[in-house]
Amino acid sequence: MAVYKRGYRRYAGPRTGPWTRFLVLPRYAWRRLYQQRLVLLLTILAFVWPILCAGFIYLTNHAELLQGLDREFKEFIQVDGRFFSIFMYVQAGFAVFLAALAGPGLIAPDLANNALPLYFSRPLTRWSYALARLTVLVGMLSIVTWIPGLALFGLQVGLAGGEWFRANWSLGAGMVAGFFVWLLLLSLVAMASSAYVKWRVVAAAVSLAFFFILGGIAEMIDQVLRVRWGHIIDPAWVVNRVWCTLLGVEAPRGPGGWASAWAVVVMIGLLALVIERKLRPVEIVS
Amino acid sequence: MNSEREQPTPVVELENLKVKLGRREILHGITCRLGVSGTGKAVGLLGPNGAGKSTLILTLLGFLRASAGRARILGFDCGHGMGEARSRIGYMPENDSFIGDMTAVAFVRQMAELSGLPPEAALEKAHQVLFHVGLGEARYRELRTYSLGMKQMAKLAQAIVHGPELVILDEPTNGLDPAARRRMLKLITEMKNEQGMHVLVCSHLLRDIEQVCDEAVIMKDGAIVHHCNLEEERRSNRSFVELEVSGDDGHLRAALPEIGAEGVSEGFGRWRIVLPPGVEVDALWHLVGRQQLLVRKLAHRRDTLEEIFLKAMGHLAQTPGETGVEAGPA
Repeated sequence: MAVYKRGYRRYAGPRTGPWTRFLVLPRYAWRRLYQQRLVLLLTILAFVWPILCAGFIYLTNHAELLQGLDREFKEFIQVDGRFFSIFMYVQAGFAVFLAALAGPGLIAPDLANNALPLYFSRPLTRWSYALARLTVLVGMLSIVTWIPGLALFGLQVGLAGGEWFRANWSLGAGMVAGFFVWLLLLSLVAMASSAYVKWRVVAAAVSLAFFFILGGIAEMIDQVLRVRWGHIIDPAWVVNRVWCTLLGVEAPRGPGGWASAWAVVVMIGLLALVIERKLRPVEIVS
Repeated sequence: MNSEREQPTPVVELENLKVKLGRREILHGITCRLGVSGTGKAVGLLGPNGAGKSTLILTLLGFLRASAGRARILGFDCGHGMGEARSRIGYMPENDSFIGDMTAVAFVRQMAELSGLPPEAALEKAHQVLFHVGLGEARYRELRTYSLGMKQMAKLAQAIVHGPELVILDEPTNGLDPAARRRMLKLITEMKNEQGMHVLVCSHLLRDIEQVCDEAVIMKDGAIVHHCNLEEERRSNRSFVELEVSGDDGHLRAALPEIGAEGVSEGFGRWRIVLPPGVEVDALWHLVGRQQLLVRKLAHRRDTLEEIFLKAMGHLAQTPGETGVEAGPA
């Protein structure tokens, strides 16, 4: 029977569980995000570097293809912590731009259209709403960061064998952990800017500016005061410092690994607080 | 156990509820039980601006915390464990609330899924409910292109798509033209009568409340000043008639019991008559005809909701005609 002939009757069937309900917001958001050509284009472009890296891993594991090259160059092209850190820098850059593109469209429209009371009058708490929005970004950015990274690690293990894995398993774990720290920070910055700025373009600019402005201020502190601890307020620098510790590569001069990790934790806490204050079904003016 | 069965859970139960916004107390210890009897009742929440209606609704939805006392909705505490209750509640806010760049069907489907409907059922119900509220032809249009009346209907659709037990409607007829208003009121009446939903309507339009509600709660300055059963009011009002006749009305008092009525003569052919429940004015009309009396005036004196409201607000000392006998003609 045609739907318009059926008439409305109250739904009395089975209800879905809390996890299915939680994934409703990410599902709808991903569908809308990948309908944007720019997001799709940037995601596709982000796979170019992992493919080149895969080719590099293939080359390093096929000695016969490297015959004729000098010894120094052969030593240079190794799949080690430095290789994965370079891979991570490039993918992290793509992640920044993807987060700036996708993030502002997540919370800003809900606030601008006063949709939060509709969400929160359903079995969805403020925290589950925020977590669902975070899942959208972390899920989307995972496709271009730790997932291809883990695939490269798997390729290297497959080609180099179990011995290489036993000696270097920490590289894979460090890469995944390092990417998660970066994705969490990026996503929270994008969400916070989206929660405070209603215009998408401005929100995207704010989330990019967060990294550039804090990086600039950190550099100014170092130059003016002739110190090296100014980098502690530079989010990109502290995350990079954490990565260096995780991957066991040479770290830049400045605050140590633990200090940088604490700085990241404080930044994440502050951003969560900023988001928490804004995500309310009703605004109370005292 | 039996006593629990005999006493149905009230839709809304408030016990000395106090709510503060900042340091200011908005609700001052409200106690009441709404929608106790039967299913499919509509309760109207009336009051002037600043009376605390919206604060009460937001507290019932769990958006605001009670500073003292307790609020329960469908038997669930509004402060904690609202998850289960929320899947059984539908809420239509007063202001524009939607996602502008979504089509109506996608928006309503998403809201249904968030309330716990499986995706296929949510899609089917979204189509059904949009046809039901009269947006069937416009369901694939983006919500931002809708007129004010259409947005109100879309808000109603998302509030009832998951088949809630209780629907909270905040100013549902705001900004609607007369035809759309009639349609909205008809839909609300159908919701309670045909779907068995409880409806809590917050409005400042007395006629809307009078038309669709079974109970009315009047609020003033953060307190409930009147709680009445409109159905009973209607019944009692229907029996109160003012009659003015010319001719010899000496036998009328003796004849009134024939139709089960009672009356008081005020002189000069003027009567105040109370008809029993179930007896219509037609019966009185025929009785007066048989007495060879000429009817000069026959009026239903109604204790309207507006009068009840004004009395509760303190603008009227008493409802006109409520007690005593009016002065005779000059």
